[in-house]
Amino acid sequence: MPISNAAFVRSTIILLVAGMIALLGIVGTSLWLVSKVQTYFAELVDVREVRSSAADLLSTLKDAETGQRGFVITGEVSFRQPYDDALKAVAERQRLLGEKAAGFPAYAERIPEINRLVADKLAELAETVVAVESGQAANAVTLVKTDRGRLLMDQLRDQLGDIMADADRRLEAGVIDTLWSAGALRWTTVIGAIAIIAVLGGAAVIVAQYTRDIVVARREVETLNATLEKRVDERTEELIRANQEVQRFAYIVTHDLRAPLVNIMGFTSELQASLAAIQGYVLADEKPPSADDILEARRAVSEDLPEAIGFIRSSTKKMDGLINAILKISRDGRRELKIERVDIKTLIETGAAAVNHQVSESDGEITIDEKLPTVISDRLSLEQVFGNLFDNAIKYQSPERPLRISVTARNAGRAGFYIEFTDNGRGIAPEDHERVFELFRRSGTQDRPGEGIGLAHVRSLMRNLGGDIVVKSELGQGTTFVLRLPPDLSKVVRSMQA
Amino acid sequence: MNGLGKEVTIVMIEDDEGHARLIEKNIRRAGVHNEVVPFTNGTEALDFVLGKDRSGLASAGRFLLILLDLNLPDMSGIDILQKIKTNTHTKRLPVVILTTTDDEREIQRCYDLGANVYITKPVEYESFAHAIRQLGLFFSVIQIPETQ
Repeated sequence: MPISNAAFVRSTIILLVAGMIALLGIVGTSLWLVSKVQTYFAELVDVREVRSSAADLLSTLKDAETGQRGFVITGEVSFRQPYDDALKAVAERQRLLGEKAAGFPAYAERIPEINRLVADKLAELAETVVAVESGQAANAVTLVKTDRGRLLMDQLRDQLGDIMADADRRLEAGVIDTLWSAGALRWTTVIGAIAIIAVLGGAAVIVAQYTRDIVVARREVETLNATLEKRVDERTEELIRANQEVQRFAYIVTHDLRAPLVNIMGFTSELQASLAAIQGYVLADEKPPSADDILEARRAVSEDLPEAIGFIRSSTKKMDGLINAILKISRDGRRELKIERVDIKTLIETGAAAVNHQVSESDGEITIDEKLPTVISDRLSLEQVFGNLFDNAIKYQSPERPLRISVTARNAGRAGFYIEFTDNGRGIAPEDHERVFELFRRSGTQDRPGEGIGLAHVRSLMRNLGGDIVVKSELGQGTTFVLRLPPDLSKVVRSMQA
Repeated sequence: MNGLGKEVTIVMIEDDEGHARLIEKNIRRAGVHNEVVPFTNGTEALDFVLGKDRSGLASAGRFLLILLDLNLPDMSGIDILQKIKTNTHTKRLPVVILTTTDDEREIQRCYDLGANVYITKPVEYESFAHAIRQLGLFFSVIQIPETQ
């Protein structure tokens, strides 16, 4: 089954669209995944920054507290150095944390509390440092002992620790998300690659199939070209044969129609001659008719007139019969064929049953092959063909032996079926094998009624069905009619119209 | 018409009895009074001329002239002509083809096969009667060989 152009174009377009969709899907998914990775990464950076600024603030505050403690214990300025440094840095650290945490509402809401705690803590630190500076170291120790500083520091540690722990969790989740995205990207690429390979494979298969079909079609065209000449020759031969048949038919018809015409004209003249003889007698008013006149007139009335009239009448009748026979054949040739499935076996069995009485009367026997084919053809034509053949077999059976009729078939492939209709009748002489199919022509002793129409009719019917009929026969032995029948008449009709 | 002083028999092979009658009438009018043996089909005619065994011995010692129509119901007149002209006993019999056929090739073929005269039957009766009478006159003067 070759792919049609439309089907090829359709499947190619489907494959192209599928390939395009696969590619777009891969590109889209990759872009989406890459942008997702970017987002994750940016978030990770932000979270890291929040975490580090939180850690920095805590460590700065710890530095400040360390400096304060050292200064409170020793009272030496050198110990106060970390405190001073931290005091300078803490605002910057706070600002950084605020800035970084602004992007995270969960952190941002903690910032005012942290700022308050930082302010409190710085105030507490400053109070103790100022007390030591003003020489009231004991007050400072008391202030430290109140535990207010430590509590503030603990609160700060909690707040900032929460932020850091949360950031750690976010970082971890971010890494997992990024890893997932990378994995997804890899799978997308793999699936996309498979899809593209499938599309390419499909396209390759279709192209290969299409190419193969084209090659097959081209080979067919080449074969057709090669046989074209032969077929033209066959057709030409058929045409020549048909033309010769038409000429032969016209010749027979004109000859056979002319023969009675000669009679009619001839006997009309004879009638006129006889009339003269009668007139010589009947209209001889003045002088009495001579003995010769009387004799002639008597003969005219008793012999010539009835004979002439008889021949004129029989010739007219014959002409009418010929014209009717020609009309019948012409009508059959023009009859619309009804193409249908015909079981030849049933058809022949029916034909045999119709003549069964006549056959069994003379101890005859009809054998019908089991393997007769079923064809697509015109039933009525075939019924007439086999009806004629059965009638002929009975009509021309040999008086020396009981009638045997057998019908067999063989399949000849492209040529169609050959059906052989054999009888053991009196046979047909070799020189008449073609003549029996001609209109108004018969063979052998003319001891049976008939007009010589049957086989001419059968042949014209068979040729109408795209087949033919020929005869094989030996005088005195029997006759075999070989019918060739195409398996499907509708194809024959189509090729005739083409 | 005679053959060595003996009566010649005219064998008329003509399937149309009307034609046969008209031919006979017009031959008679030409003064030919020989016996005319009519046959309406080829088989019976050959039975008479060549004998049932088709050997031709049946005609030995006869003086025959054959009037032959080409279109016969049971066999072609050409086949009859061929059979008569290829038989050693009957090959010298004069055969006159008298038929409605005026096909050029048919005429040639008959002469090739040994026909002695070929006459086309005219449809017009005047011409028909005239042609047959001429033929009758011709019959009255020709010599017929004896069949061996």
